[in-house]
Amino acid sequence: MNTDEALELAEKLVKEWTVDRATPQPGRLDLTLAKPDDLLPAVAALRVQRLGYLSAITGIDLGLEANALEALYHFCSGEAVVTLRIRLPREGAAVPSLCEMIPSAGPFERELREMFGITVVDLPDPGKLYLPDDWPDGQFPLRKDCDPQVPTTATGEGGR
Amino acid sequence: MSVRTPQERFIVPIGPQHPALKEPGHFEFTVDGEVVTGASVRLGYAHRGIEKATEGRNWIQNLYLLERVCGICSHIHASAYALGVESLAGVTVPPRAQAIRQLVAELERIHSHLLWLGVAAHESGFETLFMYTWRDRERVMDLLEAISGNRVNYSANVLGGVKFDISAEQADAILAGLEFLEERTDHYLEVIRTDALFVRRTSGIGVMTRRQAEVLGAVGPTARASGVPRDIRVEAPYMAYRDFPVVIVMDTAGDLKARVEVRIRELFECYRMIRVMLRDLPPGELSVRMPRRVPAGETVSRVEAPRGELFYFIKGNGTDQPERIKVRTPSICNMDSVIKLAVGHQLADMPMILAGIDPCFSCNDRSLVVRRSQSAAELWSWEALRLHGIEAYR
Repeated sequence: MNTDEALELAEKLVKEWTVDRATPQPGRLDLTLAKPDDLLPAVAALRVQRLGYLSAITGIDLGLEANALEALYHFCSGEAVVTLRIRLPREGAAVPSLCEMIPSAGPFERELREMFGITVVDLPDPGKLYLPDDWPDGQFPLRKDCDPQVPTTATGEGGR
Repeated sequence: MSVRTPQERFIVPIGPQHPALKEPGHFEFTVDGEVVTGASVRLGYAHRGIEKATEGRNWIQNLYLLERVCGICSHIHASAYALGVESLAGVTVPPRAQAIRQLVAELERIHSHLLWLGVAAHESGFETLFMYTWRDRERVMDLLEAISGNRVNYSANVLGGVKFDISAEQADAILAGLEFLEERTDHYLEVIRTDALFVRRTSGIGVMTRRQAEVLGAVGPTARASGVPRDIRVEAPYMAYRDFPVVIVMDTAGDLKARVEVRIRELFECYRMIRVMLRDLPPGELSVRMPRRVPAGETVSRVEAPRGELFYFIKGNGTDQPERIKVRTPSICNMDSVIKLAVGHQLADMPMILAGIDPCFSCNDRSLVVRRSQSAAELWSWEALRLHGIEAYR
């Protein structure tokens, strides 16, 4: 299967749940899913055809004005990169865990959870992976409104 | 002595600071006698906040920052970033520059694989092999220093090309160095295949089948040692890999010995390709002009680091700073796979199995912030650190 065939197949498989599509670069296909619940069936559709492996999950904070976060799931097969994109509200963002289907998603999802405050439902190991044990709850470092210069600590101490 | 009930779990904590590995990582192994029944990993001890830091720096500053994600595979990080930014900006890099990037990347792979072979030998108790490989690795470090001026962060890239050319004398020095290294590598291949102790510590240990490697998401030499044909240089050629292709090196055994063999055999492939490159290096310019502002857009940049697929996602917003840079390093994929495989193995094999994936903790831990200390006076702000750096090296 060459790159174009892979992208064509991916588009067909996920069509049912796609609300927007883009081809930002040669070899890339960016599919926006309607809602977080569509993630599991869409990924299952790709998996059944053994189309690509989960290479990374990217979180993006679109900022306070847009009041939204995005979670991007990148599947790679040869040169083809298929991205499943989900838009989430900043408050109460939640996505289902892929670990049942793709065990290697675990560390990516734990990172998404602690860096962006996106709840990953049914994550097998929801403990901290990167952040210190005493990192204050509700502080999500990769959100745009988190200022790393002044860490707000549990005791309220600021940076020097 | 009380009798232990089967329900009780005995946990052996290892790390963050421990004699097995030189970098910090915390592992908890649940054991039944000597046999591991469960394992978990806790990272973050080398976390520096690099992904966040990129959002406050311009495109050029980030080239220098991202080269410092890892001290072993520094060039490949800077290259993945540069390739991504150039594709966002719509800039075509001259072929000679791409070839020199690839040349440095392959020299870096040689030094990284030799370094790893030494670490693996050290973990198995084979100190002599460790000493010899690290002595020989100096030769490739000298070559890198001769062409770039640096032993570690070569700073070969600029956005739009490379900084330095390869002169005829440098090419001769590299060829002479390769001659020496190839002879040594031949010897090491024989050693790891025949040394009784090393074979017993590696053969049949930490076996990962092809199916497991695929499901658990292993990448790089770890995946290739289990027969998974995954190599970005071959699958999705970047830099000059279309003109100077590599042959994928694989093994089907999937054990530690296979992981050692695959890396050593990859070295021969590096030597072969560098010789071809030095012979047929395309002529031309070394760099093109890059715009200061990069158009809004998103790009994915994938390269084959010494440890496996390195994935960069770069989002620009039309200014001179990126909106978001995501770095997914190969070590995190391999770490997770090996932790899941630990079950059923002897506790004493754990250091070797962990070292077998060539873990890089700086890579794992790239993204976050400041460690809070008990006393506020010990907490350094970025500005204070910067001023300290300027004063200290004045």
